[in-house]
Amino acid sequence: MNGVHDLGGLDGMGPIVVEQDEPVFHAEWERRVFGMFLPIFATGHFNIDELRHAIERMGAPAYLNTSYYEHWLHAYETLLVEKGAITAEELAARRAAVAQGAV
Amino acid sequence: MAINREQALAATLAGASARVDAIVAPRFQVGAKIRMRNINPRGHTRMPRYLRGHVGTVERDHGVFVFPDAHAHGGGESPQHVYSVKFSAKEVWGREGGEHDYIVVDVWDDYMDPAS
Amino acid sequence: MASSAHTRPLSDVEIRVKALESLLVEKGLIDPAAVDALIDTYEHKVGPRNGAKVVARAWVDPAYKQRLLADGTAAIQELGYSGIQGEDMIVVENTPKVHNVLVCTLCSCYPWPTLGLPPVWYKSAPYRSRVIADPRGVLREFGTELDPDVELRVWDSTSEVRYMVLPERPAGTENMSEDELAALVTRDSMIGVTKIKV
Repeated sequence: MNGVHDLGGLDGMGPIVVEQDEPVFHAEWERRVFGMFLPIFATGHFNIDELRHAIERMGAPAYLNTSYYEHWLHAYETLLVEKGAITAEELAARRAAVAQGAV
Repeated sequence: MAINREQALAATLAGASARVDAIVAPRFQVGAKIRMRNINPRGHTRMPRYLRGHVGTVERDHGVFVFPDAHAHGGGESPQHVYSVKFSAKEVWGREGGEHDYIVVDVWDDYMDPAS
Repeated sequence: MASSAHTRPLSDVEIRVKALESLLVEKGLIDPAAVDALIDTYEHKVGPRNGAKVVARAWVDPAYKQRLLADGTAAIQELGYSGIQGEDMIVVENTPKVHNVLVCTLCSCYPWPTLGLPPVWYKSAPYRSRVIADPRGVLREFGTELDPDVELRVWDSTSEVRYMVLPERPAGTENMSEDELAALVTRDSMIGVTKIKV
């Protein structure tokens, strides 16, 4: 697709920012998102090409304004629901429970 | 059902190659001049837009791999050759391309035609 | 009320991650011990020190270097490195006449077994958009100035083949041991945005 992820040659993306001695992960949630990659993949609900395409389908504003591991998280949520491993309702209910401190 | 710790660690070392053990005839030989197709798929592709319509040279044949454009949409593996194709920056970016700069990209059989 | 390790409210993304993980664990789809082990592996065990050892070996052993350039996957595996996001490796050699630099313009493809996980700048829009169009300008920002007649090749990792740069061995290192040489090799030199300086 002619998505914004296809960045080669685009102008206006801003300066290359290099963090010295950058840690592998910047937050605990990033660790969990990374760590879930292989286990979720191993459930066999989708392949790597579907994963990349789920990220590409985020839409340009979301893609550019969210961080790298948020892209992965979006792909997991999207594909696991699309493939029927979980339902959107279950996920919403669990989020509400987590937000209330019940989980 | 869920992979356990040992299986996960084994999987990181084994990997999951996208190479396909199938005999598929290559459409191009090393040294061939090709032109990238003008494709605008609505779905997934691994052809960057900046290459569309441009002429390059096949430098290497990597062998047979899964074709992402099909695999991302329930189209199966559609195994085909992937090549290293070299493009001059002048070809891709025109006047603004660096004189001694080149772009080398992995390109699937289905992305190219012979250049006339 | 459930006990919480947090002294502040969870952010939206933290809520989403916690929700997803707990749901998947509950359904028996993922095992948190596997998640923990994978985090540990890529945070502490796999990283550019692996690639540095490959480079140092190639510098001291010409036969190894030939094998590395002919079949990167097999040669890298000789040193014990293999696996996810490195199943099909190609090593490209920097010389006084040819300089190579790597990018994945479409996402973030990177050779995990030799370099670990990529830095944020490599995965972000500014690098991905610019290095393919103005590689000398980007290299200059990293402090790397190439002679105008050096051939510069930018490799865009569009397939599952993964690339790694074999940087030039700097002058003045003739008497160094393999370990000392490996200590000189930086991650950025194996991406190709910098050269190694002694």
